[in-house]
Amino acid sequence: MNDDLAQPQPARRGFLKQIVSATAALPLVGRAAAVAAESVSAAPAVPASASAAGLGYTNFSADEAAFVETMVDIMCPADEYTPGGVDCGLAIYIDRQLAGEFGKGARRYMRGPWQAGKPQQGYQLPLTPEQFFKAGIEAANAACAAKYGKPFDQISAADANRFLSDLAAGKVGDASLPLDTWFNEWVYPLFAQACFADPIYGGNTGKVFWKLIGYPGLPSTHTIDIVQYRGKPFPGAKDPKSIADFS
Amino acid sequence: MIKKLPKKTVVMVGGGLTAGLAARQLTSKGIEVLVLERGGDHTNGAEAKLPTQRDELRWDTHQGLVQDWGVQTYSLRYSRDETALPVRWMEAFLPGEGLGGAANHWNGHTWRWSEYDMQLRTRNEARYGKTAIPKEMPLQDWGTTYAEMRPYHELFEKLFGLSGKAGNINGKIQPGGNPFEAPRDGEYPQKPLEYTEAGLTFKAAAESLGYKPFPTPAANSSGAYTNPDGQKLGQCQYCGHCERFICEAKAKASPQLLLYPMLKARKGFEIRLRAHVLGLLYDKAGKKVTGVHYVDLLSGQEYEQPADVVMLGAFTMTNTRLLLTSRIGRPYDPARNTGVVGKNFCYQLGGGVNVFMKDKWFNPFLATGSTQVYMDEFNNDNFDHSGLGFLGGAGINASMFHGRPISSRRVPPGTPRWGSAWKKANADWYAHSMVIGMQGSCYPHRENYLDLDPTYTDAFGQPLIRMNFNWRDNELKISRFIAAKQNEIAKAFNADIVTPASTLPTTFDTRNYQSTHITGGTIMGADPATSVVSPHLQHWDAHNLFIVGASVFAHNSGYNPTGPLAALALRVGDDIASYVERPRML
Repeated sequence: MNDDLAQPQPARRGFLKQIVSATAALPLVGRAAAVAAESVSAAPAVPASASAAGLGYTNFSADEAAFVETMVDIMCPADEYTPGGVDCGLAIYIDRQLAGEFGKGARRYMRGPWQAGKPQQGYQLPLTPEQFFKAGIEAANAACAAKYGKPFDQISAADANRFLSDLAAGKVGDASLPLDTWFNEWVYPLFAQACFADPIYGGNTGKVFWKLIGYPGLPSTHTIDIVQYRGKPFPGAKDPKSIADFS
Repeated sequence: MIKKLPKKTVVMVGGGLTAGLAARQLTSKGIEVLVLERGGDHTNGAEAKLPTQRDELRWDTHQGLVQDWGVQTYSLRYSRDETALPVRWMEAFLPGEGLGGAANHWNGHTWRWSEYDMQLRTRNEARYGKTAIPKEMPLQDWGTTYAEMRPYHELFEKLFGLSGKAGNINGKIQPGGNPFEAPRDGEYPQKPLEYTEAGLTFKAAAESLGYKPFPTPAANSSGAYTNPDGQKLGQCQYCGHCERFICEAKAKASPQLLLYPMLKARKGFEIRLRAHVLGLLYDKAGKKVTGVHYVDLLSGQEYEQPADVVMLGAFTMTNTRLLLTSRIGRPYDPARNTGVVGKNFCYQLGGGVNVFMKDKWFNPFLATGSTQVYMDEFNNDNFDHSGLGFLGGAGINASMFHGRPISSRRVPPGTPRWGSAWKKANADWYAHSMVIGMQGSCYPHRENYLDLDPTYTDAFGQPLIRMNFNWRDNELKISRFIAAKQNEIAKAFNADIVTPASTLPTTFDTRNYQSTHITGGTIMGADPATSVVSPHLQHWDAHNLFIVGASVFAHNSGYNPTGPLAALALRVGDDIASYVERPRML
């Protein structure tokens, strides 16, 4: 694990508000560099990508952005593998998904009556994914404040990491909303998609996660490769190509 | 106002694989066919062209080619004393939509089932005695035999240019193939696909234990191929985008590639896209259907389409629903054990062992849909079940068919779910891990059935199909038995890390993909008291209504359903031709 997790992080909410008020003028990499300088002991293996520059949130409020940025930077700390979560575009990805078809509940069955069932019957609330995600942030922040006296984005990195683990394990009680389901079935899949989906969706900036694992991406025409590189390292894994490279 | 249209000879519901095959037989004899398909044509869409075809998020995670759950889904309850809830986003199985149906986004595994499958009750009673089949397991013979279906398997495999290695040619067991295979006339039309490293590793381990692993018969084309109709397949590119995707390289045999373009050029063939069928028109006294009621989604206009013959070729659930909403045949009642429509609804078992080997480059992205090595020793009734307490079994496999990074990363047990250690585990094991999987039989259970939901409706105001389903004792026992076998095989890998085999959860879970192979609801059989359609797939209560698809399967085995389904579709085409010539109960 990254040892910087044990050190307290600066309160980021105030800083984020400055960013939000000056989005047009200040690219996100500027903030990323500042945070990195303040808190990260290990140097990132890959420099922060410039492709996130100029991107703002289309959906999140300042509080929501603060929560999600803190979360993705905990779940994806800057380390020898990748830059931090925000710089990998993970928050932008989640923002875009919630703003788009997914967030609005496209292609989901949304007719009543509504009633609770077994977990295996799947999500049964009348809220769209966007609404449920945001209600979860509210509930998680309230639970966080009850425990730590501060909202999620203002507690220490170590506490934030522990809080996320508690959420996943169902140890954060909230009468109004099942926070373990919220985290495991909604937040976590969005995090994983943000890391590994094609960069065209805003996450996985610079194909950083594809490079990490060695997924070569497109065009994946491997008729010869399957024989030539069966059981051997595949050279294309070091330099993946994405949809934008062929568009 | 419903507009009445001029009559057609044969009207088919659903423009997928079965309608394409049946229409091939009929139009070759000059018989007029109209196909009604609710979706559009994918041929020139983003789903069928580079680079957008390779978008895992859009077509896989977000199910871009799958039925729109907002329009139509299914409800589920686990027992009759529960209120069913609609599955609001289904992950467990994935019906298709549009020309070609689910055969657009299939993976390509194509089996002939066991020679005895269609007489499974007879087989089990003969081998284990009359009392071996539990009372609550309505295992039934299908009313036909493999011998009758065999010529249609031969034809289908040539039409779809299957790649594989024969295991049984006219009763002679062939080295390298499946020794449990039903007898075939000759080799497969094309040589097998290339092996993956995962396949070779599994093969070596299984062979070291005395098993006979073999390459899965595949509709992913190992070479360039021209079928008997002159339709062409390109060579597979091993791109790892088959299941949930359309093959942009025209290398995965599919109806929208091999059947519909040819059919559209034939005289007497017509397909109407975006035509959503609402019901059948039934003359109960006359024991016949008179046509189909559908809505044109481009205009909102509803039509009555009269027909001499109607064939249902929609997905399993829709075939059943159209009978129930149109009040054709007796709905199944599990309490009284009467009626037939909705009976013998079956699914399929999964479960696997993750294997991690740091010195092996498995390169999961060098694969195609059916680059799977399989072993059949513990499938179906290929082994002695005396004293085991269950019937059926599972094929055990190494099914490395893609390396798409959102969904196909394996990390060792105990890996944190995020953070640097999580990243390291993904980096360490993505190319160096594989899974030993399984596909297991699901035999019918008296309480597993389909009916109409009393509360929930689709976007057209029609009742949803209600699944009354859960895993039963038989499946749970199969799962534990196969898991033990998988663990033994995993030991022979000498791997660095092995995650012990997962066994079936006791509650059916809609949140995880398992298999799109759902069967039953309109089952075939020789006895009208226990089947919906005859051995010739003719409805017992409406002689000019034919039904084809996995909905006619009387049970589900540890094989993919496409082979028997396609053979039945070709044969029903011939049977309908015979019926058109001289209408009668065949």
